[in-house]
Amino acid sequence: MAWGLPVNPGRGLWRDTGQHVLDGKAGPHAMVPSMTAPPAGARAAGAAPDRAVGECDADLVARSLDDPEAFAALFDRYAAMLYRYVSRRLGPESAEDVVGDTFLAAFSKRHRYDQAHRDARPWLFGIVTKLVSRHHRSEAARYRALRRSPVDGPQEGPAERVEAGVTATAVRPLLAEALAKLSRRDLDVLLLFAWGDLTYEEVAQALGIPVGTVRSRLNRARRKVRATLGDTNPMREEA
Amino acid sequence: MDDLELLRGLGRELEHEPPGSLVRQRGRLEDAPRRRGRGHRPPGRWPLLGAVAAVTAALVLVPAALLHAGDPRVGRTAHPFAPGSEKPLNVLLLGSDTRAEGGRSDTIVLLHLPADRKGARVVSVPRDLLVRIKACKTPKGTLTLSREVPINAAFALGGADCARETVESVTSVEVDTTVVIDFAGFRGMVDALGGVEVTLPEPIRDPKSGTALLPGRQRLDGRRALAYVRVRYGVGDGSDLSRIGRQQRFLAAMARRAKAVQAGSPLRFAKFVAIASGSVSTRPRMDVGAMEALFRSLGRTEPDAVAFNTLPVRMAASDPNRITIDAAGAQRLLTPFRED
Repeated sequence: MAWGLPVNPGRGLWRDTGQHVLDGKAGPHAMVPSMTAPPAGARAAGAAPDRAVGECDADLVARSLDDPEAFAALFDRYAAMLYRYVSRRLGPESAEDVVGDTFLAAFSKRHRYDQAHRDARPWLFGIVTKLVSRHHRSEAARYRALRRSPVDGPQEGPAERVEAGVTATAVRPLLAEALAKLSRRDLDVLLLFAWGDLTYEEVAQALGIPVGTVRSRLNRARRKVRATLGDTNPMREEA
Repeated sequence: MDDLELLRGLGRELEHEPPGSLVRQRGRLEDAPRRRGRGHRPPGRWPLLGAVAAVTAALVLVPAALLHAGDPRVGRTAHPFAPGSEKPLNVLLLGSDTRAEGGRSDTIVLLHLPADRKGARVVSVPRDLLVRIKACKTPKGTLTLSREVPINAAFALGGADCARETVESVTSVEVDTTVVIDFAGFRGMVDALGGVEVTLPEPIRDPKSGTALLPGRQRLDGRRALAYVRVRYGVGDGSDLSRIGRQQRFLAAMARRAKAVQAGSPLRFAKFVAIASGSVSTRPRMDVGAMEALFRSLGRTEPDAVAFNTLPVRMAASDPNRITIDAAGAQRLLTPFRED
């Protein structure tokens, strides 16, 4: 189950593994080049982000209790990844604010971070999920709209990515239909797993529910998706 | 290919790459961590003013389709900012409690417009940045001493020209125009726009102006907007850097609002422009014709193409509670201000 791996570089959301949130491909609203440099305030008082290299997330959170600026390194690690995830669910308009709100909320809760978890992604995804749920109606409307209107597919990228995109395009209306009909709980689990690249355990941790519940919700969600795809899906024959 | 693979394909189709503006969200975060440090100022009169942000929006980001569509005060003479003869421009924006001499410049912003006007760069200067001010002439004709003071003292001691000289010597950026705005002008401009919408992550209480703002998305009128950009206590960590973040966010929101107003309600926009041009003083004096040309040249500037930054600072050697310029970082950040 390759998709069960926590990190799937080059294919999943987490393509930025370095320090810079905004390097790599620029979005349609790309700014003048200097925007790729982190804001200057971060450089103050010797809290250089370079120090964060090699520190695990839990260490960063712990250090941020005394040296709050260490927390900005978490932003550098995960903001782009979270943005991609939220942009899938809510579109680019809300994604930026949701990501910003996520880190503010995370920062204010950092005292309660469980140091046993070296990887902060489940924690952050949990916060993102709560914030995304405030937009549940527009998310559902987004999926409903997808049942009809075309989306801009990936225009470039590795061949296999484009190919997968083409396949998904063919069944997109049905998938969107299925997503629009899922309950919020099932949807959260399904998308954290499929789009967030979290494992069962990580989804459980993110949502604060038992792993068994993750399994049952995921199974139910997938069953519904498959039912909606039905026998009309030609891809299933080839699978 | 199973349902999960199809779903992943859909996800990739729906995905967007993070825009450059995402860095603003990092700025929001950076507001939060500065919970300790900077010494507190005693309460003062209108200590903070995001007016500069507003002026930037007014003068810089708003295309002035309306200005040349019948405002009788608009001159028709040629000037250095006329279309076709555009040159890069560095503007120093000072927000002050009063436009009269002796006021405090509590907001200090450097703004750079490249010759093509396609984008803009805004660099906020922390007002308590420790600098050595040059001896400069006060309005009364006497000379101030060269000494180490917070940068906002330059305006209080020697007025706008002294502030400009000090900023120029600290940053090595040549300033073409200095703009001063007071808080009343700021308030009027926000009201003229019919308010500006912002999202507050937490409530803001400003006991000094008796203003309380609830969290969430809302439209601020001039009075509330002033509280939002100037309050230092009762929100975040109470630091100047946290306020700068708020001012920059407000600027971005105001620029968007101005653009929307221009598109949607021409009358309101005309009023806004009139109030904006009456709310600021510029040095060297920019007449309405020059202002109009500047507006027009900025028709191409999209609010989203504005880069916001804060001048890099570090702990001052002489006093760990003070900050001083991080020369190497500032050098890098300000490079575009020196070229063209």
